[in-house]
Amino acid sequence: MGSAKRKSSEGEEAAESDGEGKKKRRVLPSVVRNKEKRSQLYSVLKREKRIEKRKKTKAREAAEKKALELGEEPPEKKVPRTIENTREPDETVCRPDDVELFASNDTDEFNKILKQETIPKILITTCRFHSTRGPAFIKELLSVIPNAHYYKRGTYELKKIVEYAKNRDFTSIVVVHTNRREPDALLIINLPDGPTAHFKLSSLVLRKDIKNHGNPTGHKPELVLNHFTTRLGHRVGRMIQSLFPQDPFFRGRRVVTFHNQRDFIFFRHHRYIFETKETKEEDPKAKAAKADKSKSITKGRIFARLQECGPRFTLKLISLQHGTFDTKDGEFEWVHKADMDTSRRRFFL
Amino acid sequence: MPRTTMVESPGCPPLRVLTTDVLGLVKVLEVQGKVGTPKVVETWGSPDASRSVIATSFADCQTNPLLVIARKNGLIELLSPLSGETLSASKFSELGLSSFSAEEDPVAGLHLFKTKNAGLSSGINVLLICTEKGKAFLKHIPLKDASPSASTEDSCRNWDISGAGKVVCSAVDSKENYALFGGKGIELNLWNLESCSRIWTAKPPRVNSLGIFSPTFFTAATFLSKEDHRKIAAGTSNFQIRLYDISAQRRPVLSIDFRESPIRVVREGLDGNTVYIGAGIGDLASFDMRTGKLLGCFNGKCCGSIRSIAKHPELPLLASCGLDSYVRIWDSRTRRLLSAVFLKQHLTSVMFDSHFSSGVLSIEKSNSRKSSTKKSKRKHGEEDEIIESYVSPSEDEAMEMKLSLRKSSSKKKKSKTMKAKVDSLKTA
Repeated sequence: MGSAKRKSSEGEEAAESDGEGKKKRRVLPSVVRNKEKRSQLYSVLKREKRIEKRKKTKAREAAEKKALELGEEPPEKKVPRTIENTREPDETVCRPDDVELFASNDTDEFNKILKQETIPKILITTCRFHSTRGPAFIKELLSVIPNAHYYKRGTYELKKIVEYAKNRDFTSIVVVHTNRREPDALLIINLPDGPTAHFKLSSLVLRKDIKNHGNPTGHKPELVLNHFTTRLGHRVGRMIQSLFPQDPFFRGRRVVTFHNQRDFIFFRHHRYIFETKETKEEDPKAKAAKADKSKSITKGRIFARLQECGPRFTLKLISLQHGTFDTKDGEFEWVHKADMDTSRRRFFL
Repeated sequence: MPRTTMVESPGCPPLRVLTTDVLGLVKVLEVQGKVGTPKVVETWGSPDASRSVIATSFADCQTNPLLVIARKNGLIELLSPLSGETLSASKFSELGLSSFSAEEDPVAGLHLFKTKNAGLSSGINVLLICTEKGKAFLKHIPLKDASPSASTEDSCRNWDISGAGKVVCSAVDSKENYALFGGKGIELNLWNLESCSRIWTAKPPRVNSLGIFSPTFFTAATFLSKEDHRKIAAGTSNFQIRLYDISAQRRPVLSIDFRESPIRVVREGLDGNTVYIGAGIGDLASFDMRTGKLLGCFNGKCCGSIRSIAKHPELPLLASCGLDSYVRIWDSRTRRLLSAVFLKQHLTSVMFDSHFSSGVLSIEKSNSRKSSTKKSKRKHGEEDEIIESYVSPSEDEAMEMKLSLRKSSSKKKKSKTMKAKVDSLKTA
């Protein structure tokens, strides 16, 4: 009891002293045991911090303004340190001056599709048992990927399906794996001779669950592939690219994005529209009159508006296998192993 | 500051490694000086997928080393591993060996004879070639500069290994009297190369208690020891490593399961007991074949299938390469990763050039081998010291290595001071 009392009195002192001056502000709230006192102390600290921060930004803005007036170079903007830009140096990152990279690009399995010699034709199927979200997801995938055909899985083995698809001139197979009525894995098999990529699929949001979603048109979409930097990433990117036709219909204004960030590949599907600022400002006339100056500046500025039209999901590469699907005799080009995760700043794609 | 942990790789002793890849390039890695990471010193060939290397064989001789490469387009090339110049290139189909084209029946195994290499003076090399459809050939291939009379009198022997199935692995023992073949649907079989007759065939293991029989699929095979051709280590696609003793029985003496990925490479160690295993998922391990115990795995972020393992004939070094396009050099005793080099393509094979500036003969050899790098010549003295101390018999290899390196460095200092003295004398 006694000790507890002593402690609390200490906390009190600390709180009081904190209010008085700066030099005694060494007592951390975590030391204080009384909750009330602790939160008091904490709020004081937080307030001071906020004020300091505001001061800093004000000073920075003032310096910027001054520099602008004087016609000097404004002080450099600080770049926040993120996990991406402090990534571990990697020798496998593709460089634009690499002759071997282009030579291997010219000879790899996707070259025929990417050079538009063949048109991609996709077979979509499922695991043996699927229900609820699985079919809904496949329905949306069919609307995303042009020239995709859904085939019921039945009880066929995947190797048989690969053979079947090879004979029917399909260029890829996409298998949606469902677990507990929730799609959780995606297998992409490039035909006729591999590779096979196995992705973990997570955070799936279907179209109807997206607010203000649009409905996609049947045009061939544009494709955006972001940040596939290493050789492995490059290969995966080319594999994804080979699912889509290489001649997008730009007037359809439909974009499919695969954005890689920290080895997670984010899938988004949008419609966009170009609008000029001018047209928008004509409607509220009073406003236009008020902000006449700003109007003259922004006149004719074109900007794009986006509307998401689902689905939305995240992929993570688990393995890339050489050749078509073969779990038993297959050779892997890349497998994620536990001993590779020794740093959070090491990325493979 | 970001917290990063960089595990320093200790680096390798001076060595020379040759690799081949799917774009048909042959790359040479060298470590020069004392200890360091290997660097690509030379790249031979131009990138072309049709020239992808399928099989290689390397005659690691003191004089006139030779590298044979079988390419995807059916070309069999003899290269000089020192300069990279093509000594002879012949189309497989033009040799009159097979009625099939290179696409239908690619080469599965290749061996260049070292002891029977009678023809070095005459420029003829004996090659054992086997194809996937089970045809084996012993063929004399003349070098470019050989006299045409020599090529006309060449003899070619051929035989069928098997009517059905697909040959995947082949091996020739160190005395080069016996050859071993195995594959998908083909049990291991041993051939006498003198008489071209089959002397032994393996039997599949008995069905298990559930009556389940796993189909034959050998993916790798090797002779276990150099002296003895009777012990054979083989890897199968159903995750097993098997030991056969042809003097004992036709069924495997020992079979060990290793994880759940097909065995891709089996390479024998120097002592005749250990084997090094490479698996399709990128696992590398060593086994003692007397007891069948796992000695340990090689941990080093191997993330792609291992296609080839090479053992250095003298030093405790192991090189592995595969689909993750890294060449990794390991210490075979401590199983530590010494260094890893990224080579950009899927690699198909790796070889050690063990005579790279080693021993007393180095000066003599440097005359015979037109070593393209002048730096290596200059540093011969130092390297010799290191390698001598490296080779010296000792049990505790790691300690030995460190000590030797230290020793050599001190020696190097001495030699440097000596050099400086000499220089000063010269200038005087």
